[in-house]
Formats: sequence, C-alpha cells, structure tokens
Amino acid sequence: MTERPLDVLIVEDEVLLATELEFLVGEVGCNPVGLAMSSDEAVAMASDLRPDLALVDVHLRDGPTGVEVARTIHDKCGGVALFMTANVKRLPDDFAGACGVIGKPYSEHGVKTALSYLTICLREGRAPGQPPIGLELAPAYAERWGLSGLPQAV
Amino acid sequence: MTDILRSERAAEELAAEHTVGDPFAAAIRATRMAMIVTDARQADNPIIFANDAFLALTGYHREEIIGRNCRFLQGPDTDPAAIATLRDAIVKGEDVAIDILNYRKDGTTFWNALYLSPVRGKTGEIAYFFASQLNVSDKKRVEFELGDTRERLEAAVAARTADLTHALQQKTALLHEVDHRVKNNLQLISSLLLLQTRRVTDPGVKNSLRGMLERVSAIATVHRRLFQSDDVERFDVSAFVRDLVSDMVGATRRDDITVRLDLERIDVAASKAAPLALVISELFSNALRHGFPPETMEGRTGEVFVGITRQDADFRIEITDTGVGVENSASSGGFGLTIVQLLCQQLKARCQTTPADPGTRVVVYLPVNGVHH
Repeated sequence: MTERPLDVLIVEDEVLLATELEFLVGEVGCNPVGLAMSSDEAVAMASDLRPDLALVDVHLRDGPTGVEVARTIHDKCGGVALFMTANVKRLPDDFAGACGVIGKPYSEHGVKTALSYLTICLREGRAPGQPPIGLELAPAYAERWGLSGLPQAV
Repeated sequence: MTDILRSERAAEELAAEHTVGDPFAAAIRATRMAMIVTDARQADNPIIFANDAFLALTGYHREEIIGRNCRFLQGPDTDPAAIATLRDAIVKGEDVAIDILNYRKDGTTFWNALYLSPVRGKTGEIAYFFASQLNVSDKKRVEFELGDTRERLEAAVAARTADLTHALQQKTALLHEVDHRVKNNLQLISSLLLLQTRRVTDPGVKNSLRGMLERVSAIATVHRRLFQSDDVERFDVSAFVRDLVSDMVGATRRDDITVRLDLERIDVAASKAAPLALVISELFSNALRHGFPPETMEGRTGEVFVGITRQDADFRIEITDTGVGVENSASSGGFGLTIVQLLCQQLKARCQTTPADPGTRVVVYLPVNGVHH
C-alpha cells in the first residue's frame, strides 16, 4: 500500500474543460500526467505513462471512441478508467471495464469528492462508503470494493 | 343403351311420377331459382332434370346437359378445395352448401351459392341428388372489394406506422444530441468561470465569479435532473435541493455549519425548473455565505434549514438560518436579491423575509396551479 499520489491521465477533446480538470486533479492531491484529445493519443499515453486513473470523455476528437479507449486501458494498460460524459445513458452495461461515471455537467466540488473517494478505493481496494453524489460506480467495481448488496445512491 | 338414352329414360320416369297437375313439379319448373336433379343410380351421376332458371343462368340448352355430370360448370379458376368438399359430400350422401366459382357456356364465370342434397328412395338408398344454384357474384364482388380495401388500408397503416417510427427515432436521436450539447456547453461555461476565478486576485471580482458559477451550476443541476428522469415535463424540486445543498455545503468547506432538510416531494412544470432552482440556489447561498461570518461564530455552530411542503394551493419553500440576521449581514444584497425578486415575479411567487431570532427566515410561496387565489 503506497501513499504516493495517483497518476491521472485526462482524455478530453475540449481543451478548456481539460485544463480546468487538470487543476482539480492537482487540487485533490493527484498527479495529472497528461492530456489526450483523441483515442490514438489516449491509448499511446496510457501505454507509456501507465496512469492509475484515466478520466475519459466518450466523445473525442475522432468521434465517440472513448468507450473503446476505456476498454483498452482496462484490458491492456492495467489502469482504471472513469467516464466523464454527458451521455451516461449510452454507456454499455459493463461500463467497458471502467470503474464508473461522472455525468456532465459536473461541479467542481462533485469532481473533487469523486476523485478523493476513488483515491481511497484504489489504494485500499475497498470503498469508504457509498459513492458521493454525482459519481455512479460500475456494478463490477461496486462489488470489488465491497459495496454489493448495499443500496446504491442515485 | 347409351347414357343419354338412359338419362332420358330416367327423366321420363321422374316426369311420369310428377304429371302436369303436380304443384311441386310445376313450382320447381317455374321457380326463378336454378335447380337440377341428377340420377345417383347411373354411372357418373348425370343430370336428368334442369329447370329453365338453370338454363338461363348457365347459357346451355337442355339437350346439351341432360345425361352429363355437372362438373362441366367447373373451370380453371374453380377452387379445387371446393370441388373436393362437394365430392366428399356426394360420396358420404350428405347435404352441402358451398360458394363455388362456376363457368357458363360462353366461358364467363359466376359465383354459385350451391346447395346439394341427396334424395332417398323408399328403401333408404340414394336415388337422386337435388341441387339449387344461386348467382351470388354481386355479393362476392363486394366481399372481394372489401377484402381489397382492407388489405390496402392495412398496407397504408403499416407504411404510415413505419414512417412515424422512423420519424420518432430521428427525433429521439436529435433530442439526445441537443441534450448532449446543452450539457457540454454548460460544462464549458462552468470551466470558463472556474478558470477565470483561478486567475483573478481581487476578492470582489472573485466573489462575483463564484456567484455566477453557482448560478450556472444550479442551471446545470436542473438540466441533469430533468433528463435523468423518465418524465422530462416534470421537475422534482426536492431531489434538486438535495443535490444542490450537498454540492454547495461541500464547496464552502464550513464544518461549523450544519444543514437540516425536511423535503416533501413536489413536482413543478419543467418550464419553471430553472427559475425556481435559481431562486433556491440564491437564497441558500445567501444563508450559507452571509449568515455566518467566521469572526462572529466564536466556536458556535450554525444551522441552515430547508423545508419544502405543500400548503393549500401553494408550494411552501422555506430557507431559515440561525445566523446573524439580515440587518447584521454583510450580504451584498444587490444582485442576488434582485435575481430572487425578478424570478419570483416571473414565477408568480411570493417571497417573505422575516427575522427568525436568531437569524433569518425566507419563505417562498409558489402557486401549485400557476396563480394565487
């Protein structure tokens, strides 16, 4: 169990959102390692930088490719993806291997609490409680982090 | 003896049994219903009697048909299943009534409502078959036309349904696209405001930007809530308040302020969601930011209460703080309160501010049906 900050990759084609997100990531004590704007960039950076967490928008510069990016990160890069999208309802049921989703539009506070919460989950392999408002966990991760059977907050 | 001769002999025998004075024979000869009698005891069941109506209907002369089996009435378009039914009834010696397509001598067709029945002799064996023919072509044509019309209508309905389904799919896709864009744009506006807030150093400007960010967040929360629910026409005010309060309290990082909620579920029209959300956000933010100046707390804790309930013809939304009270508050008053006043006017709502001792109580009365009684 290490106390080093989480390395976070941001996958987002809206540069203003990405820039602001970088600040937020830094403010909660994580380490923003890079910004990818297309699926190719995202997969390349995820393979090179091996981030602990990737914040992935579904719509990237080359189309709605974020879902495949999340799947690749999960299958091949050993990292955990978290969707940040306005299209929560369009995500596949298995979340493409991602640990959950933050729906857009999110608030500064919502993202910060979600990141702090996920930091604990990833470090300790257990959730400290129900996920905060604004964060929805994938069923597989809710189970892995010991939340199965508990009622899910919406 | 030839078949024809035998049939003529049989016909004579039949006629001999029913002489000129026989009213039944006279009736059958003269009726407008086409009728024939066949001889079941001869091979191939030939016709031995046909009345004038039958000749008129089929176009044959009497001598052309006496001695022949009546299958000459059938043609290429006659339904084989109908012929089989007929044959089966004859073999079994049963009555049968059936609509069958028949052919006249000139090749034209007519629909024949055929009734066929065995006639038994004294010993019970079948001696004759009696058949009556009724031309039901008109009735059949109407039936076919109705069938055609129904098929055309069904085809038209199916085509229209397909069109509408397609149109609905397109509209749904468009709705998702617009929803997606609205959310992304709201996110973009928030990010712009946050980025600038990070840059400016002037506390006044920082506060103004914070205020605008809160307002945009309130609208964003409304939008997220509206499209999360199945009914985009109704807006669940209490669910919104829960989201808003958790976010704003978390963002202020004030451990010395607690929030108490007493929220009854109320739904308002979606068109009222954004203005009402802004009013609540403004009032709650006011209580949170101006009710409890840190230098006045001296170790005490403060509380903000939000209550939503229905009272007669109004929704009653109460926001009460145990803070320093309006007269002692450093509230900028100006812009935030102006927004509340203007939006209450738009919502036809009444807004009442009273001292709560300690603190301030603001109650908004929103008419359930859009108007105050």
